[in-house]
Amino acid sequence: MAEDLDLLRGTLDLLILKTLSWGPMHGLAVLRWIEQVTEQRLQITEGALYPALHRMEQKGWLGADWGYSNRNREAKFYKLTAAGRRQLTAELSKWSRYTEAVNLLIAAEGAR
Amino acid sequence: MSDGREGKRPRLFRMPTSRGRLRGDIDRELHFHIEGRIEELIASGLTREQAEREVAQRFGDMAAVRDQLEEIDTRTHRRHELGEWRGALARDFGQALRGILLRPAFAAVVVLTLGLGIGATTAIYALLDAVVLRPLPYPNAARLVYIEHPVPGVETNAKWRMSQAGYFFFRKNSKALEDIALYNKSEASLVTSDEAERVRAAAVSGNFFEVVGARPLLGRSFTDADNLPNAPQVAMLGYSFWRQRFNGDPRVVGTRVSLGSVPVTIVGVAPEKLDLPDYQAQVWIPLELDPNAPAVNSHYLDAIGRLRPGVMVAAAQADAARLTSRLPEEFPGAYTPGFMRESRFGVLVSPLRDRVIGAMSHTLWILLGAVAIVMLIAFANVANLFLVRAEARRRETDIRLALGADRLHLAGHYIAESMLLSLIGGVLAVGLAYGAIRFLLVLNPSSVPRLPEVSLGWQAGVVALVLSLGAGTVLGLLPLTRLALGGDRVSTLREGGRTQTASRGQLSARSALVVAQMALAVMLLAAAGLMVRSFQRLRSVQPGFDASGVLTFEVSLPYSRYAPNVRGPAAYLPVFRFHRDLEQQLAALPGVTSVGMTQALAMKDGDGCALVFVKGRDYTRETAPCVGTVIAGPGYFSTLGIAVRGRVPTWADVDDQTGAVVVSKALAQRMWPGEDPIGKELRPNGTGAPWYHVVGVTGDVLTRSLDQPPSEIVYYPMVPIQGAPLWSPPTHMTVAIRTRAPDPLSLAPAARRLVKALDREVPVANVQTMETIVEQSTARTTFAMLLLAVAGGMALVLSAVGIYGVISYTVAQRRPEIGVRMALGAQAAQVGRMVVAQSLRVATAGIAIGLLGAFATTRVLQSLLFGVSPTDPVTLGGVTVLLVMLGALAAYAPARRATKVDPVEVLRRE
Repeated sequence: MAEDLDLLRGTLDLLILKTLSWGPMHGLAVLRWIEQVTEQRLQITEGALYPALHRMEQKGWLGADWGYSNRNREAKFYKLTAAGRRQLTAELSKWSRYTEAVNLLIAAEGAR
Repeated sequence: MSDGREGKRPRLFRMPTSRGRLRGDIDRELHFHIEGRIEELIASGLTREQAEREVAQRFGDMAAVRDQLEEIDTRTHRRHELGEWRGALARDFGQALRGILLRPAFAAVVVLTLGLGIGATTAIYALLDAVVLRPLPYPNAARLVYIEHPVPGVETNAKWRMSQAGYFFFRKNSKALEDIALYNKSEASLVTSDEAERVRAAAVSGNFFEVVGARPLLGRSFTDADNLPNAPQVAMLGYSFWRQRFNGDPRVVGTRVSLGSVPVTIVGVAPEKLDLPDYQAQVWIPLELDPNAPAVNSHYLDAIGRLRPGVMVAAAQADAARLTSRLPEEFPGAYTPGFMRESRFGVLVSPLRDRVIGAMSHTLWILLGAVAIVMLIAFANVANLFLVRAEARRRETDIRLALGADRLHLAGHYIAESMLLSLIGGVLAVGLAYGAIRFLLVLNPSSVPRLPEVSLGWQAGVVALVLSLGAGTVLGLLPLTRLALGGDRVSTLREGGRTQTASRGQLSARSALVVAQMALAVMLLAAAGLMVRSFQRLRSVQPGFDASGVLTFEVSLPYSRYAPNVRGPAAYLPVFRFHRDLEQQLAALPGVTSVGMTQALAMKDGDGCALVFVKGRDYTRETAPCVGTVIAGPGYFSTLGIAVRGRVPTWADVDDQTGAVVVSKALAQRMWPGEDPIGKELRPNGTGAPWYHVVGVTGDVLTRSLDQPPSEIVYYPMVPIQGAPLWSPPTHMTVAIRTRAPDPLSLAPAARRLVKALDREVPVANVQTMETIVEQSTARTTFAMLLLAVAGGMALVLSAVGIYGVISYTVAQRRPEIGVRMALGAQAAQVGRMVVAQSLRVATAGIAIGLLGAFATTRVLQSLLFGVSPTDPVTLGGVTVLLVMLGALAAYAPARRATKVDPVEVLRRE
């Protein structure tokens, strides 16, 4: 099993928003997607995921709809709203500014 | 939140009505997740048990997560509901606004009528609130009582204030009262370098501030020591006076001013809004109180007591009665058993506020009732309009219902419209009430106590809001009574709305409203009519003097210079000379026909009460009657136009101390019934020589107010007869000038100049015409009459509109029927009579009920009426005739319209 990376505070929202930007998904699918895409490097617990989903729903970033999974089970599907899309853009730019800054610092340390 | 598309709302929000629902959704979501995970793990080779354990471990504390989710969802749900509710509200109000803009005339009539009705009520409520309901502006207001002594043996309603001896005795021995403070309203002249100014002074006992619970703003307040005779002269400034006259300069404390020709030190400034009850004091001074002075039966002090915590007024009353009964043994010289018996000397402890407001409380409650009736009448009109509207929209409503509209939603729609109109009416009402209050303050009716405290407070705003909300709700629910009842909508639709006869129920509801309106109008007009008749009666009373063309003002001579500390006639000389000179110089002014002066002007000052002894009667101090005692100058009678039989004393009489007095007719009839009073002899206070002798008798004079019986008065001269110096020199006098000038006030500047030329330290105060003074004595009646007349007028107009509206509407509804009648040969005149008869039927029913109501309720006016019975047949008859005429008049135009109905056209349309 790959080494777990501690989830940086505040990045979970970004991960969920980005994941849902590909289309409506239920909670389990969101979790699977993140695990697969990050090659199991990011482990997100259910105890963090579901409160985050519901909180983002409350904020109006996500819409929720009951539908059926491909195994024909009733599941709650989340999808991005217009506000969620705007939020994703904002989070992405914030993230890239943050990583740039961190990279600059790391590079500077190496030049000493 | 949702994607916003109608019809495919997320299920979570369409249904969730309870916590259980939210919880179920969460469980289902998590269940799906866990099942999915387990299946995944089984597929990778674990047993079901292993998979379940693995998932549970990974999940952690499932219950905690569930609780967290539920909390979030509950909040989401609540917010969503609020949003929906707001949206619906905005939609309903938006629709209502559009509806109103489409029918501006309807909206305007509704808003104006409601605004008028609610506005009048709000204004009177504001007045009642400020004058009656709000506590007096003292921190201890709830525990303050007023103490006085009723003396029904002297005069039916007479009440004396407290005596100095009584004060010290009560203060020391009362068990129910913590403390007692004294005050006197007085005036003093404040002299500065350039001018003498007359200021309103509050003379108080040293503990006054402490008793009412006030602290000085600056410096100190008074102490008991300040009340002692020969204490250093000190004063405090009233807050507004300090701000205006001394620019709010704190350095004024410690300085000296001249007050009443005596230098006094200003020791402090009173806090803002502290006044005597109903008296705006500019300067506060200590009363002179001597605990060691011999007891004198002289009651000149207003007394405020502060109840001990938890003690009721009734207990204080009992306590005061116990102390009062001990007065004869404590002060045998001042309170003889005979005096106590003859005067029926008692004590009355009442809440201070009741005492300040007095009879005005009753009047204001009556007026509030009157404007409430006006509001009901106005409301009935608006309700009628709404019923007509509902009738016109019946088809619209039915179609909506037939198409499956939600009844609740429809109700919201109607209520939004009526609510919006009522609230706009409420805003208008507040504006009107504000204007009315401002107008009232400008009028400054002297009969209303605490007037400076009156303003449109938030309480009145709340009243206006509640009334508008109430009106809005009822009006919105009116058209819904049909919805609630159900009714057969299909048949209405099938009728196609062609024969639009109003249902019998609707019409009778509308007639009932008009009958109620007429009944209320009758009651209100009866009240207004009775007040007008009382006012006329009062105005036609002959007071025994002629108030027109008379100017009055007060002059106050500095006591220190004009009342020298000598005994005998010489003590009176300075005062005598000043007044005689003033009278002669004023009389020489152009246009002046007569000048007189008195210590107690009729209708303005009380006549006082002093024992009178008559030669030839064995009156003792216990049995001698107490009668009005007035010091009057020689010109007083001719100036006021008081008829005198016999002769009037002259300045020579005063100068020579001949002891010539004039008595009033009422006194003469009591003392010497059937005899000629001229030549009889009497004296105040004591028997034996020297006697004053009666030289003249006046006609009946009313000096207290126009609704009181003629007064019993002895008019004594300014200088007492030799050997009986019984009163102090009269330094404070009211001067009356009779003039030919159309406006007596035009003489005021010349009079002021003359007084100033005689002595520049003598201030002129309270310049007013005698007519104003007489008007003030009937001010309460006038005030109640004016407001009731306005309310009655509004009721009359509103009911006229109401009955006209209903008759007019019925005629429109009955057009087909009238057309048929005319086609069958009915004459135009017959049709007209039919319409008028219908109007009169409604009017008569209303009048009959209203008369019964008037008989039952006009009694509350009793205390305001004069010379008219509450069921005065002339008034009630007049009101009946007026409203019958109104009923006939209101039907005139609709009747004419009915006669113009063209049968051919009507029948063709059917």
